[in-house]
Amino acid sequence: MQKDISTILKSVSKPARYTGGEYGQIIKDKEKIKTRIAFCFPDTYEIGMSNLGMKILYGALNELDYVWCERCFAPWPDMEEKMRQNDIPLFTLESKDEIKEFDIMAISMQYELCYTTAINMIDLAGISVFAKDRKDIDPIILGGGPCAYNPEPVADFFDIFSIGEGEEALCELAELYTRMKENGTYTKDAFLREASHLDGFYVPSLYNVQYNSDGTIALFEPKYDDVPKRVVKRVVADLNTSYFPLKPVMPYIETVHDRIMLETFRGCIRGCRFCQAGMVFRPVREKSVEVLNFQAEQIYKNTGYNEISLTSLSISDYSCLHEATDLLLSWTNDKKINLSLPSLRADSFTRELMRKISGVRSSGLTFAPEAGTQRLRDAINKNLYEKDLFNAVRLAFEGGKSQVKLYFMNGLPTETYEDIEGISTLASAVVDEYYKTEGRPKRPVSVTVSVSCFVPKPHTPFQWEGQDTLESLRSKQMFLAEKITDKKIRYNWHEAKVSRLEAVFSKGNRRLSKAIYTAQRKGMRFDAWDEYFSYEKWLEVFDECGIDIDFYATRKMSYDEILPWDVIDIGVSKGFLISENKKAYESKTTPNCKEKCSGCGANALGKELTWCPKRK
Amino acid sequence: MVPEEKIKVRIRFSKTGDLMYISHLDLARTMQRIILRAGLDIWYSEGFNPQPKMVFAVPLPTGVESNCEMLDIKLNSPMSSEEIKNRLNDNFPTEMRVLDVYTPEVKFKEIAYIDYTIKLNSPKITGETAGKIKALFDGECMITKKTKSGEKEVNISEYIKLLEADSKSGYAEIHTILASGNEMNLSPELLIEALRRNLDLMTSGRIDEYYSIMRNEMLTSTLEKFI
Repeated sequence: MQKDISTILKSVSKPARYTGGEYGQIIKDKEKIKTRIAFCFPDTYEIGMSNLGMKILYGALNELDYVWCERCFAPWPDMEEKMRQNDIPLFTLESKDEIKEFDIMAISMQYELCYTTAINMIDLAGISVFAKDRKDIDPIILGGGPCAYNPEPVADFFDIFSIGEGEEALCELAELYTRMKENGTYTKDAFLREASHLDGFYVPSLYNVQYNSDGTIALFEPKYDDVPKRVVKRVVADLNTSYFPLKPVMPYIETVHDRIMLETFRGCIRGCRFCQAGMVFRPVREKSVEVLNFQAEQIYKNTGYNEISLTSLSISDYSCLHEATDLLLSWTNDKKINLSLPSLRADSFTRELMRKISGVRSSGLTFAPEAGTQRLRDAINKNLYEKDLFNAVRLAFEGGKSQVKLYFMNGLPTETYEDIEGISTLASAVVDEYYKTEGRPKRPVSVTVSVSCFVPKPHTPFQWEGQDTLESLRSKQMFLAEKITDKKIRYNWHEAKVSRLEAVFSKGNRRLSKAIYTAQRKGMRFDAWDEYFSYEKWLEVFDECGIDIDFYATRKMSYDEILPWDVIDIGVSKGFLISENKKAYESKTTPNCKEKCSGCGANALGKELTWCPKRK
Repeated sequence: MVPEEKIKVRIRFSKTGDLMYISHLDLARTMQRIILRAGLDIWYSEGFNPQPKMVFAVPLPTGVESNCEMLDIKLNSPMSSEEIKNRLNDNFPTEMRVLDVYTPEVKFKEIAYIDYTIKLNSPKITGETAGKIKALFDGECMITKKTKSGEKEVNISEYIKLLEADSKSGYAEIHTILASGNEMNLSPELLIEALRRNLDLMTSGRIDEYYSIMRNEMLTSTLEKFI
């Protein structure tokens, strides 16, 4: 960028979001680079810089000497306004070059409510937002992240999607792009056709979609024989040898997760029926204790962070947790480094773990029973019993904690008012447990009950379910508010309107792109932020576009309906998801992957290093 | 209490370019990590939440660059100044450089003034602008100043020990010494604010009108260089 934008930076909030220059950022010589990638995150710097996936992909792509991957985050509306006023297009933090000059604009989509922000970033870059309008000279727009497991609502905007884990796949895509540019065979169409042959890439323009008169999909098939009927997600076979960033970029401003995020394993053995992550990240693959400890030491030396967080979907399911924490604590305590274990399950919380995590600094504890009664917990396959929860909180209280957070969900399939009352009963029982615990702290107890609304997610056993109506969710929230009378219990609930919009986009098809485009034109962005979210505006948009949102959010789909995301193959069979869905209605649980293989099919993706018992 | 045998070290460093947008609080957190990365054996405060003990001289306002920032730390074991300097520079971002490392003899409370250079770029500036700037601060110039106890109207000319200005078409440069002690202190941004209000400079919000402020030197009450 040629312009001095200090006048703008001095007039916007948090200017350091836009200046880069952090320790650990990667600067390369443009002249020696063949392919330039702008890795864009459609949310603020603070959110994006906390994303482990982005750190991994940024590092992995920059390992290639012919590629320079740079970062870009969505400007906050005050900055966007100044940029538009002064004709400053979207630019990257490293070179400050405008994104339009790049070869690939990669956009990571972590949640559905970032869609307007993502499209707005394309627009701010001065690039046509619809893929069909872009020419050979425009950057290829690549989508990825968890939302790519149902890319259909944004399919019209993207040229190509990376499905599944990207650290190997994106390097292959960059390699193909560079090769075609070098040998002169590159055109946008030729590249996309070629890329559709790579494992784990979905090119939406290469598929025909036809609809029935009721709006369901009549046909979804590739336009050409050489394009795969279904795109199988990518997984990294061996986490011990795959790329992991040991020298991450160090943000100056405080980010959401401003600490060492040490990925411990991928996948989850549990199979909760509402959980998309639990299905799409299968099969379970673990890092060895030695690799984990080595990476922790290296990252500590390279960052100076004083907190290490062992990240995974459910940390207590890591088969070497005790060994790993012992080894880490053998040096972290001396260096006054705090070890944190988020996503602890109540049924595996032990006195020893309690002692380990209260080493240097201390915080409250969070458990997620998800449902208030055993019947509903069985229906969602949570596999957690009341006695486990009581045992966990007692240990926490004995260990000096007086604050416990409990996460639940409203609107789960088969939920009744008895289940909701169960949330209140359970929270009160936790309060009682505190006062029964000998050796508890002298302070009064604080139990926070946080209740979100169930959103049916693609590729889960509940993918066919309709979401509860807004009215029903509201009355359930009010009912619980009346049931919780104890002043020691704090009750928070999520705005149901937000969850409803999430449901629309989660289960959406290509017809929604019209609404997303219309919303962006109307200036809507940062929908995940309370100050910008407007359900009423969204209703206007859907109305204008002739879209019935009940069709997406609340309609129950049949097992034989063609789902918009059927084109994506996550390795878990539809037969398994159907059987899990049926078991939910019988309140029957399924054993976790360590107890018994239930034959979901994902073991085929994990090669010999997966955790799956059948493979061992 | 600080044990007597701890080794006091003063670090003089620059913070320029885009790093001016990093606030003082963010700098403090960044510095803590830099010191850990550099492997300095820094003394931690004791207690429930131990923190490496760091004391900065007069915090630098966001948006201002500096060639004279100072940080005092205490080490548990001796290390040569050269070694400390090299280790820190290896771990600093490029727009931050260690200029000097030594044993402090004078406390930060001896700082009374700070010397700044302000550069203004604007199509509105002419050869006459310098005279207008000097005239503005020659007499009384009232401005709203935020203090711990709320806002109050102050005459900023009383805080200006010295002000020289020079200008030509499109560009002006101000050299000034501002009160920066415990009793009296003035942020150079308030000078810009006064220019905005009285001379209609830096008000357009357009990118062809911009300014920079450089902190050159901290001074004692007798206007000698503070070391």
